[in-house]
Amino acid sequence: MAEALAVRNLSRRFGGLRAVQDLSFSVNEGETLALIGPNGAGKTTSFNLITGYYRPDGGSVCAFGRELVGLRPHDICAHGLARTFQVARPFGKMTVLANVMTGALLRDHKLEVARQKAGEVIDFVGLTAKQHAPARDLTTIDQRRLELARALATQPRLLLLDEVMAGLNPAEIDQAVGLVGKLAQRGLTIVIVEHVMRAIMAVASHIVVLDHGQKIAEGNPREVVANQEVIRAYLGTGYAHAEPVGDARC
Amino acid sequence: MMHGLLGRSGFWLCVLAAAALALPLVASPFAVDIGIRVALFAFIGVAWNLMGGYAKQLSLGHAAFFGLGAYTSTILLIRFDISPWIGMLAGGVVAMLASLPIGALCFRLRGPYFAIATIATAQVLMLLFLKFRDFAWGAEGTTIPNLGDAPLMMQFDGKAPYYYIALALLAIGLLITYAIERSWMGYYLVAVGEDEDAAEAIGVDALRMKRHIYLISAFLTALAGTFYVQYIYFIDPNVAFSFNISVEAALVSIVGGIGTLWGPVVGTVLLEPTSALLQSWLGSGRGGVQLTVYSLILVAVILYRPAGLIGLFTDIATRLVHGSQARTKEAPLDG
Repeated sequence: MAEALAVRNLSRRFGGLRAVQDLSFSVNEGETLALIGPNGAGKTTSFNLITGYYRPDGGSVCAFGRELVGLRPHDICAHGLARTFQVARPFGKMTVLANVMTGALLRDHKLEVARQKAGEVIDFVGLTAKQHAPARDLTTIDQRRLELARALATQPRLLLLDEVMAGLNPAEIDQAVGLVGKLAQRGLTIVIVEHVMRAIMAVASHIVVLDHGQKIAEGNPREVVANQEVIRAYLGTGYAHAEPVGDARC
Repeated sequence: MMHGLLGRSGFWLCVLAAAALALPLVASPFAVDIGIRVALFAFIGVAWNLMGGYAKQLSLGHAAFFGLGAYTSTILLIRFDISPWIGMLAGGVVAMLASLPIGALCFRLRGPYFAIATIATAQVLMLLFLKFRDFAWGAEGTTIPNLGDAPLMMQFDGKAPYYYIALALLAIGLLITYAIERSWMGYYLVAVGEDEDAAEAIGVDALRMKRHIYLISAFLTALAGTFYVQYIYFIDPNVAFSFNISVEAALVSIVGGIGTLWGPVVGTVLLEPTSALLQSWLGSGRGGVQLTVYSLILVAVILYRPAGLIGLFTDIATRLVHGSQARTKEAPLDG
């Protein structure tokens, strides 16, 4: 399997805080990798480093054979990496359709082509009924759907999802897990930052655990959940020998 | 439905255009003068709105381009006997070139900081032209030699030709806005205006979009500068780089409806005649009564119609056209 994304020794500090330290991991094509860790572990910072929003102090990010460090976010998107934001950031004034069309325009500047592509993606995320509504009128889950649709409209090869399930109720999480699963089945490579353990266990084929900006564990979901370091990072040393609970929300 | 809507707005557009074209035939020179100011400031507003309205880069320094346009054509006219028609285009090109370094400096800043930086650039240009005594007449300014009725030199006897030129400029500005709004650029500009980071995430080169729209906006604003000094036959740095121009450009768009095709026109049609009529009725002698009334109108609009007066008109229009939930227009704002 070819490597879609290779992160090597990535570091970034903010003043005295080492937000990400010497982080290395790689994602194979078609794989779904989950990046997990307690609050402040550096997950979102890693995303921002990979997608060009922050410049790393050191290290490299290589996607589909190209070095990404130094590229601007729009270049990185054009190279096939699409991301969502932790707090959905729709273009509120635009309709759902116009939002997604803006994403689709990256691959073809013709509005008709973009409209058709956008229609397909909106249908996939289940927003067809609301496609003419202004984006600012959407509910939280619909804004997340829109965010996903807009990212997918850029026709990425690698999708980076930043906590798409935070704040959703269990039924909505099931829907979201279904969507991510479908994308993975289509062969899309996915990197997902998530707190909802249930979702991670369902979608991830590989997990990287961060704590204080460093990688503390890595492996398949079963291995990671049983890892003592991981339990300690999440629950404190007192629980290090506790039995892992499959459905825990962290 | 779609044809009904387009047909209806097309019809009203024709009525509006006919009324605008007929104005000099029926109105007094004073009214035509107001008409010229309306068309000119609506045009400046349209130029500003491309950048300030769609891409939400709130510039308060468009006087920089207005002044560069005015000075370029005047210098070419007086020093080199070149027709202002050519000077107008040359001024547009000069303004475009100037927009590149100004943009490079100011686009690093966002929101109010951007606005303040643009004010500074216009002020710096004004100060420079105050010092350029040798080739730009310094603080004294200069009158533009009156050649009588010389259409090739953009000079005319009556006011009507000036009015039609201003109207043509406005039409060009509106057509350009219309074309941009209905292309990928419109979507990208609104995306940048709404959320630059989110736009970058889906492949929009925000800096490039801002640079491009600044070029277009600067070019158009410079055309207005040339026209204005040709109309008033006088130029000095305070006229050409007047802060009022910058404010007016933003104000008419904001009052009318920012980021909409007709917003600046609606805003100017309300503000310019009001200001001119108030001035002639109340005079400027009585301690600025007219300014007070003008300000009250502004405050009322901003309070009750923060999205601009254009909303009032579209609300009425949607009520007239039944079942208007079918939004068929192709614009970034309605997909």
